[in-house]
Amino acid sequence: MKYLPLLWSGIWRKPGRTALVLLQVAVAFALFGVLQGMKTGVDRAVAKTRADLLIVTPADFGGAPLPLSYLDRLRSIPGMQSVDFADGFLGTYQKPTQPVFVLAIQPSQLWVTLVPEMFQVLPKDLDALKNTRDGALITADIGKKYGWHVGDRIPLTSTTLQSDGSGTWSFQIVGTFTDHEPGEAGFIVGNYDYLDQARALNKGTVRNFYAIIADPKRAAEMSDTIDRAFGNSSNETKTGSLRELAQQQMRAIGDLNFLIRSVVGAVLVALLFSITTIMMQTIRERTPEFAVLKTLGFGDRPIFLLVVGECLLICIAAALTGLALATGVFPYAGKFVPGLSMPLSVVGFGLIGAVLVALITAVPPALRAARLEVVDALAGR
Amino acid sequence: MASVVSFNNVSKHYTRGKQSVAVLEHFDLEIDDGEFVAIMGPSGSGKTTLLNLIGGLDRPSSGQVTVAGERLDQLSGSGLSRWRARHVGFIFQFYNLLPTLSAERNVELPLLLTSLSGAERRRKVTAALGLVGLADRAKHKPGELSGGQQQRVAIARALIADPTILICDEPTGDLDRHTAEEILGLLQTLNRQYGKTIIMVTHDPKAASYASRQLQVDKGQLVDGSAKAVA
Repeated sequence: MKYLPLLWSGIWRKPGRTALVLLQVAVAFALFGVLQGMKTGVDRAVAKTRADLLIVTPADFGGAPLPLSYLDRLRSIPGMQSVDFADGFLGTYQKPTQPVFVLAIQPSQLWVTLVPEMFQVLPKDLDALKNTRDGALITADIGKKYGWHVGDRIPLTSTTLQSDGSGTWSFQIVGTFTDHEPGEAGFIVGNYDYLDQARALNKGTVRNFYAIIADPKRAAEMSDTIDRAFGNSSNETKTGSLRELAQQQMRAIGDLNFLIRSVVGAVLVALLFSITTIMMQTIRERTPEFAVLKTLGFGDRPIFLLVVGECLLICIAAALTGLALATGVFPYAGKFVPGLSMPLSVVGFGLIGAVLVALITAVPPALRAARLEVVDALAGR
Repeated sequence: MASVVSFNNVSKHYTRGKQSVAVLEHFDLEIDDGEFVAIMGPSGSGKTTLLNLIGGLDRPSSGQVTVAGERLDQLSGSGLSRWRARHVGFIFQFYNLLPTLSAERNVELPLLLTSLSGAERRRKVTAALGLVGLADRAKHKPGELSGGQQQRVAIARALIADPTILICDEPTGDLDRHTAEEILGLLQTLNRQYGKTIIMVTHDPKAASYASRQLQVDKGQLVDGSAKAVA
């Protein structure tokens, strides 16, 4: 601690230059924090998604829906805990630019316990839906967006036609539910029976089955079992766990790891060159001062440690600023991945990175200062 | 009186390119404890080299250099650093204060190498600054002080660790006559009242007259080492 004033005075010898270095390091670590935080956050978010929930869809994307009769066959597969299904159609409210997806389910408590990730609904609202054939549950967001209230009747227009040829579907709002992604005012929940009985085509079919398996570790094996069970039929399936689906979505964005490593690596290498150059220049300018310190009895080691200490202080302070900045902006950057928060491990890695950057950049100038020949330095040689 | 500086057949050569330049040749010198010695001579005569060897900043090419009871020619680089911290206080022509540190922080520097507590260091710094008449300028940075005041801070820094000898390289070379006399008077007081051994390089005969002995160096040789001042 007794060397702190000396370190501090060295750091602020050229305040403008120090401020620029601080800014440079802080921006680099803010970038590191956001990118690494995104990566770690996404990894965690994916890891948090359920591996025990399998989603069974038609093998061909956009292909024919699956027969409802698959339900019993799925339930009979060993290792299966519970199975339910969902269908739906896309409609619009009043104008084509106001899309509303109708998720059609059998309003049982099973659905709520099956996939609480999808929505939370109170038993009274679920009962109301069950008791009203053309009933619908809405979110607070969609209600606010279109001015809907419980008790209202709403018309939706869709290309999914009814048996009478009409494309207009009428729903009675009977309750509300909480969307798992607040703000995404995109869907309402209706009765499968209403949809299935009224529609002209695809009667007795569903879009997806949702299956919960007893052992999440067997997700891949169970998925294969399901797909094999319906293989070589007119309605082949494609099954994957929710986690696998999330991983596929992440892969679709691109190789996030490679991208992040490339950007962070390039920034850190640039930072190393830049800080080393600045520190070398600083040490050259301060040669007479180091010569005086050596004259007073400061040995090579204390001088070396002084320079390293200065670099450490700058880098750690700047990295903390950058990581704090990253933590501050993270909620905005994290909008793309719901539920994302800055992991503490990223701050830890950032600080370790700052120490490494400081040590690597400080060694050449510190050695130069430590090896200074006092007589030559004092003589200005 | 005991000898505090002893040079025995000391030579110092520098290599400039492919040439070896002799700066001091077979130099013998004795300085007693408590002396105030002025070293004079023309530029390039070897004064500063002599001072550097006495102060442990440089090592001789040959010969024995004994200062404060230690054979400096036998010490390693780190050994010389530790020895300097214990035994020598340096005062330079251009003060050589660290511009970003306050006067008190500059004075404190040699004490950072000791095991003294913060409170003890502060007490000593206050006393040293009081001794040179700058207690009220403790918080000022060198840029806020006059040349004379800066040199006083440098003297306080040189004294703070209670060194065996004070080495002064043209301590008044950058000061006006009046201020120079104040500084020289202060050095003389330190020598006479506190018994500090002072070795001063100067071009100025008036400054040299404050010393108790004058040494004349020319072409790396001691020309005259007996002249006594009459200040």
